[in-house]
Amino acid sequence: MSEQTKETKVIEDIGIDAGLEQLTEEQIEKTIMSVINAEGGTRLEAYTKTCVHCGLCSEACHYYHSHDKDPQYAPVGKVRNTMWNFLTKKGKISKEELKRAVLIAHTECNLCRRCVQYCPFGVDTAYIIALVRRIVHKLGITPQYIQDTAHSHAATFNQMWLKDDEWVDTLFWQEDEARDEIPSMRIPLEKEGADFMYSVIAPEPKFRTQLIYQAAVIFNECGLDWTMPSTTGWDNSDMCMFTGDFEMMGRLKRDHYECAQRLKVKKVVMGECGHAYRSIYDQGNRWVGWRDMPVPVIHSIQFFWELLKAGKIKVAKTIDKLATFHDPCNTVRGMGLHEMGREVAKAFYPNFVEMQPNREHNYCCAAGGGVINCGPPHKMTRVLGNRVKAEQLKATGAEVLIAPCHNCHGGLEDIIHHYKLDMEIRFLGDIIYECMEKPNAV
Amino acid sequence: MHSIYNFATGPLCWAAFIIFIGGLLLKFISMVRRARSSEPYIFGYFSPYFGLRSVIAWLIPFVPRNGKLNPVFTVVTFAFHICLLVAPLFLMAHVMLLQEGVGMHWGTLSDATADVMTVIVLVGLAYFAYRRCTDPTAKYVTGPKEWVLLALVAAPFLTGFLAYHQIFDYQVMVVLHILSGEAMLIAIPFTWLSHMLLFPMVRMYQGSEFGGVRHVKDW
Amino acid sequence: MKKTILLTLLAVAASLLYLLPAFCQEDMRVIEPTAFENPQRPAAVFNHDAHNEKAGIEGDCYLCHHSEGKPDPDNTSEGTPCSDCHAVKAEKGKTGLMQAYHKMCQDCHQAKGKGPIACGECHVRN
Repeated sequence: MSEQTKETKVIEDIGIDAGLEQLTEEQIEKTIMSVINAEGGTRLEAYTKTCVHCGLCSEACHYYHSHDKDPQYAPVGKVRNTMWNFLTKKGKISKEELKRAVLIAHTECNLCRRCVQYCPFGVDTAYIIALVRRIVHKLGITPQYIQDTAHSHAATFNQMWLKDDEWVDTLFWQEDEARDEIPSMRIPLEKEGADFMYSVIAPEPKFRTQLIYQAAVIFNECGLDWTMPSTTGWDNSDMCMFTGDFEMMGRLKRDHYECAQRLKVKKVVMGECGHAYRSIYDQGNRWVGWRDMPVPVIHSIQFFWELLKAGKIKVAKTIDKLATFHDPCNTVRGMGLHEMGREVAKAFYPNFVEMQPNREHNYCCAAGGGVINCGPPHKMTRVLGNRVKAEQLKATGAEVLIAPCHNCHGGLEDIIHHYKLDMEIRFLGDIIYECMEKPNAV
Repeated sequence: MHSIYNFATGPLCWAAFIIFIGGLLLKFISMVRRARSSEPYIFGYFSPYFGLRSVIAWLIPFVPRNGKLNPVFTVVTFAFHICLLVAPLFLMAHVMLLQEGVGMHWGTLSDATADVMTVIVLVGLAYFAYRRCTDPTAKYVTGPKEWVLLALVAAPFLTGFLAYHQIFDYQVMVVLHILSGEAMLIAIPFTWLSHMLLFPMVRMYQGSEFGGVRHVKDW
Repeated sequence: MKKTILLTLLAVAASLLYLLPAFCQEDMRVIEPTAFENPQRPAAVFNHDAHNEKAGIEGDCYLCHHSEGKPDPDNTSEGTPCSDCHAVKAEKGKTGLMQAYHKMCQDCHQAKGKGPIACGECHVRN
């Protein structure tokens, strides 16, 4: 318990602390119970009643392994200190307990769902923790940084406060840049009836514009019929899903799909992002009332794999360095894209080594699930909480780490830096851009 | 002896079985009904194929990765659960009582086999108790309730073993055996012992989501 | 010399053991039908004469040694092994041997509210 209090004292987050100050104990109790009663539903009951408190889930969690088997970081330990506490005390919990619960739910769990594969009953701890975040959202004590991105979503329909003209301007800029390399290069805007619409997450135009550049080059060199929207709906990311602002999550996904429908495209291809994919095929669509995806959405991993198999992407050169592949939770436990990802990676990096464990059993990056989006105050929580990832990476001896997800990139970068691993992290698109045949390039 | 024995094997036994089976049945019905109104989409994603695939995978020892990582636990838990279900259901004395009481009967185990299985159940429970004291996570989430439930499951098997071997006073032991067995049955719908019903329900749902929506195995 | 005496005594003791069943036949102490192969429980304790005296049914042999139908003083079956009519494996419409024994004892004990009824009360281990 002393360790808990210490942590609570150390981590200051104005979003949590200022929010907590304004709350009364009655408000806390009422909000907790209303969310549990109205939204907890059958699954919460089934999950909490099925659990026999055996602790087998601990094996699943990277935080647990990284904290020398401290049970506070086991999935069931986190549920104990959040939802069980809410349930047994019927919402009558202190502000200290509540702050601890916010930190657990937002910064010590990545909602990676690995524990579902380690619980014999299939108890979905990620669902329970997401429900805790929903309570946190309703109480207005979400960590500041991620709440800011959620506000941005609400105000601008993108995650990074990009203004409408900035978005279009960025695309023009990238098109312009690329023409130096490929004179015929276009980023087709608003092309109705194109084969596919390419959607990205807002950090791409904001910080990683080269990714848009690279994707555009790949599509052009493959001779594809594609387009990007000039209106909102271009950003497929969704931090609201992670803050528990499900109403906003639904609005975002509706906007995204309606954008694709307006452009009458056959499908949407999305960039190398994990959480956006989860929001699109699994959570956001359900909130709006679509069983499946109203317009098919294909993740880059799959799209690149299809292009490679169809011979549209031609390998011009391979790289000799020893490479390994990190399976992002939302593309592997989310869509089973592990084999496709490997095949694409191995086509360019024939010198390939698997990390252990791998594929659907890979350790999480500890950045996903909105944890990295909680910002600098919580950076060390996730870095120290994922020592096991550093050990796993080190054991491969690889020089190159391929990770087809933005959040994974951010998290892995911090881990590589902190644990002094000498590794280069790459996206698939980045590799393909470098190594494919570019017939139109000058 | 006559009145307490007849009460325990008569009305109390009926009550225990009605509460046990009826309780689980009601639990099932109420959960399905609640899900239909609050989370109807669960049924939209429900897939018997992927659901059963997941249940079956978890019912084969050493198929799930976590089973491979915990070999002792896997061996103990499978031996324990098989014996827990098979020994009482096919114990000759139980089948005899059933046959003489209500006329139903089925195959039986030899007493020696049932005796060994009972010991396995008790050893399994002893291991679970040991694990709850030593495994950091299990210890962290073990409270009085877990100990009561372990004892509640151990009681009918321990008293049954002692009664069968006629150690201590037989009459006291056999009555304790019947009462503790009934107490265990009654507890099932109201505690986490209900995982006997919820395991296939939760696992099938999760298997449907993982297999049907996420195209990945959940073991 | 000593060895010989010891061996002789042991031989005598062993032969006496074989005599035990003979005594039992004289004074019945257990119900031990030979029809059961591989019996799972020790034979049921039954002191024929003491039981009948205690139960006050000396001479009412027909109560247990019944023939077909209801117990009838004029139609008894002493001397006929139960297994002659009650097969170990119950035939259709007939009571199996084990059940016949259980029913015979338990029904009466239940009706009188006296006597053993739980398994181990008759199948006593020594």
